[in-house]
Amino acid sequence: MQFNPCMKHNLIRASTRHFAETELAPIAAEIDHNRTFPREVIARMRGLNYFGLQVPEKYGGAALDSISAAIVVEELSRVCAAIGLCVTVHNGVAVYPFLQFADKRQKEKYLFRLASGEDVGAFSLTEANAGSDAGSVETTAVKNGGTYILNGTKIFVTNGGVCDIALIFALTSAPDAKLQSSVFIVESSFQGFLRGELEDLCGMRANPISSLFFEDCPVPEENLLGKPGDGMKIGLATLDNGRIGVAAQALGIAQGAMEAAVKYAKERQQFKKPIASQQTIQNYIADMATEITAARLLLYHACDLKDAGAPFGPEASMAKLYCSTVASKVTSLAVQIHGGYGYSKEYDVERYFRDAKVTEIYEGTSEIQRMVIARAILSRQIL
Amino acid sequence: MTKQKSIWVFGDYRNYYQNRVTLQLLSKAMDLARVIGAQVCAVVVGHDIEEWIMEYTAHGADRILSIDHPSLTSYSTEHYLALMQYLVTQRDPDIILVGATDFGREFAPRLAKRLGTGLSADCVGLDITPDGLLVQIAPSFGGNMLAEIVTEKHRPQMATVRPGTFREIPHNYERTAIVERLPLPPDLPVSRARVIEYERAVQREHAIENATVIACGGRGMGNKNNFKKLYELADLLGGDVGATRPVVYAGWAGHGALIGQAGKHIKPKLLFSFGISGAIQHTAGLGEANFIVAVNKNPQATMMKMADVAVTADASDFLNNLIRELKKRIHD
Amino acid sequence: MFEIVVCIKQVPMVAELPWDEKTGTLRREAAAGMMNPACKHAVEAALQFKESHGASITVMTMGPPAAKQVLHEAIAMGAGRGILICDPLLAGSDTYATSFVLARAIKKEIPGFGLVLCGAYTSDSETGQVGPQLAEELNVPAAAYAEHIDISGQTMRVRRLVDNFRETLEMEFPALVTVSMERYKPRYVSFAGLNRAFNGARIDVLSAADLAVTAADLEANGSRTRVRKVFIRKTMKENVRITGAAANAAAEFLDRYQRSISAVIGKSIETKK
Repeated sequence: MQFNPCMKHNLIRASTRHFAETELAPIAAEIDHNRTFPREVIARMRGLNYFGLQVPEKYGGAALDSISAAIVVEELSRVCAAIGLCVTVHNGVAVYPFLQFADKRQKEKYLFRLASGEDVGAFSLTEANAGSDAGSVETTAVKNGGTYILNGTKIFVTNGGVCDIALIFALTSAPDAKLQSSVFIVESSFQGFLRGELEDLCGMRANPISSLFFEDCPVPEENLLGKPGDGMKIGLATLDNGRIGVAAQALGIAQGAMEAAVKYAKERQQFKKPIASQQTIQNYIADMATEITAARLLLYHACDLKDAGAPFGPEASMAKLYCSTVASKVTSLAVQIHGGYGYSKEYDVERYFRDAKVTEIYEGTSEIQRMVIARAILSRQIL
Repeated sequence: MTKQKSIWVFGDYRNYYQNRVTLQLLSKAMDLARVIGAQVCAVVVGHDIEEWIMEYTAHGADRILSIDHPSLTSYSTEHYLALMQYLVTQRDPDIILVGATDFGREFAPRLAKRLGTGLSADCVGLDITPDGLLVQIAPSFGGNMLAEIVTEKHRPQMATVRPGTFREIPHNYERTAIVERLPLPPDLPVSRARVIEYERAVQREHAIENATVIACGGRGMGNKNNFKKLYELADLLGGDVGATRPVVYAGWAGHGALIGQAGKHIKPKLLFSFGISGAIQHTAGLGEANFIVAVNKNPQATMMKMADVAVTADASDFLNNLIRELKKRIHD
Repeated sequence: MFEIVVCIKQVPMVAELPWDEKTGTLRREAAAGMMNPACKHAVEAALQFKESHGASITVMTMGPPAAKQVLHEAIAMGAGRGILICDPLLAGSDTYATSFVLARAIKKEIPGFGLVLCGAYTSDSETGQVGPQLAEELNVPAAAYAEHIDISGQTMRVRRLVDNFRETLEMEFPALVTVSMERYKPRYVSFAGLNRAFNGARIDVLSAADLAVTAADLEANGSRTRVRKVFIRKTMKENVRITGAAANAAAEFLDRYQRSISAVIGKSIETKK
């Protein structure tokens, strides 16, 4: 359903859709099945600013507004969620902290490389004992002269298998002092930076999600992002932004699944008529379309607030919560509408179903999103 | 004295053996002519054209207007436009039919513009009223509907017709026609688009557009090895292999095999469609394939509904069995 | 400066999964449209000349206000200027009228043009007539379905494959060529490029009056044909269904159609019963 009244947004949507249909659609099923990261397609995306969506032009980016960036992620995810994930994580939580918190030297050193896609970015906070409880990270960064020595393990790192630059959250508290964490810019070429095996996951299988191990990994102190102890501040701000991206991803998955379900319902005949003529199916379709439209509005609202410079955290949480919930519901309905064929790998909907689920989990589980929203309302930050 | 009504068919002869559209149009022109008491006239221009004059006579022309000249050896749209304009101005035909070949589709609209008359392109049917109004039936709205189109005021009425729409009459040696061998008109303008190279394309290169039999495979074939078996079927039937876009991008077939909106437009007599759902980008290239056999696990796929014969089966499975059965039955 | 005019058209965006969006809803401006693929190839051809020989490129389209989108897209690809011919008077024009109006606009806005490029056909109507008829209106030499265009000085050579014949045509400028989709694969546009195309893109909107085209003109140069009836295409296909185990299905299929298949392939597969 065409939403954007703005021609520029339409054009960005048409352009991304063209790319996605031409380059990603033919391989999406195969790379999911084989867990391959499509390097040639990623290479083609580099010169088109897919990796610098909101980076200023002077650093080689496209300086897109947030709705445009969301549309790009949405259209990629509509065809291939795993690559939509790669792009949204890179832009939303790897590049974004540089834009917000890096000093001039760091920007000049890294932004070009990231915006051009020459370097793929990753953001790693999560550990075995620190999922929702982000404060419980155990990775340490101990200062030794002009270097910090990193030790620890990060898990479920999106883009982990291919990232060149990773933002790592580590404890930098002094002994006997209050626990504090900081963020470090770590290059994959640093000594002691090791990648784990690729995770074998239910969905997003073409994304190289893996663990990252740090064994006495030396990080120069000029690679500290912000100040020591800024970890929480940077983390929270980044997650707010990342949620918009994941919401867009979930929205794209839902859109793709709905389109497939509608097409199938019109073709599939039972009892001598298309199943689309059955009221139950029509109810499903009505619900899917309405919820997707509502989700889209919520997402674009969060984007507008962000671009206006207003606080957008709770709204981003709402968008993420709602879009991911809708994605799970819509993809489940889409499989149901396809009947037995929906359960078969012959059709694409089962992949959408598998891909959708994780959008309710990563970048803050739905439970955490509710916590964020409730706190905001209870503290009267928003109405 | 009332002028004799005439229906003209432009002789597009250069691929005579593969492309019978002129003969098909002559046959239809005969039907139309009968209703209004008109003469069927074939226009043949070129060099060394005796063979085509005889063929068109044997296939329905009452009259042949021919111009034979060395300067007309290779098709030249500009020359033919000038010649037709000259002939039409002199003879005032009621109707001109042109086959919708690549040539026809460029030539006819230009001729219509030059003559200031109306044209319906890619007609799939023609009819005529007793007072000589040509009813042109052409697809509209993306091919799902048909439209009846008429050119009410302007003459001649023009239409281009897809090859394979009509059936030619069998070659009849006993038919005769009035053959007018006309000289090249004196002040024919020099063609501004000069033909400097002109040769028949090596058959294999773009064989698929002219293939009589095509075995086309989609993603439902499963994998590259299964897809490759299509070549075996094609060889048995003397045909070619086509592919859908996902298949080409998956590397199972080369771009030359791509059939559809962005690929080749085909017009085989017999088309096998294996494991293809029938997305519009593909079906746009199917043209007027005479006989379509679709094989798909999903009996409700669009392609299955478009087919003359729809086989509900695993595409690769059926293909293997078809090859085996054919091998048993073929005897030269 | 060599002037190239590319005539492009906006056609409905056909999703990979066909979904009819054109249901006459209120938000016509928001209806999804895209540049006709063959037109995009024509724009690409123009861009390649600009890069190799130097040229100034104007893209032109006739359509509703939403058609501006394709002009923006062409400018993002590298065209210099866009012209939208938009007027309620022109709605529903067929190729006859369209070629007349386009010719008027070209003669007015880019009178010194060297080359006009069009896509060989559109994805929605596929008649491929506008190009040839525009050539007649402009009275210039033309070639359709060009695969390869070579420019040298004042001459142009066009290579094409038509009806299984390889032809090379030579023409002087000004000329018109329609571009097939065989070559000139269109470049993707970066998002920075798309963004830039919206800031200060040079797009002029012309009405019928701006082109001195009146209703009478359209009457005189408009459609010569009239649609007198539209009806649903009756499938002329029998749509025979064969089911069952693959081996039996294959045998059944060949049994039923052996005669016609033999006729088509020129070899007998008939089993003596």
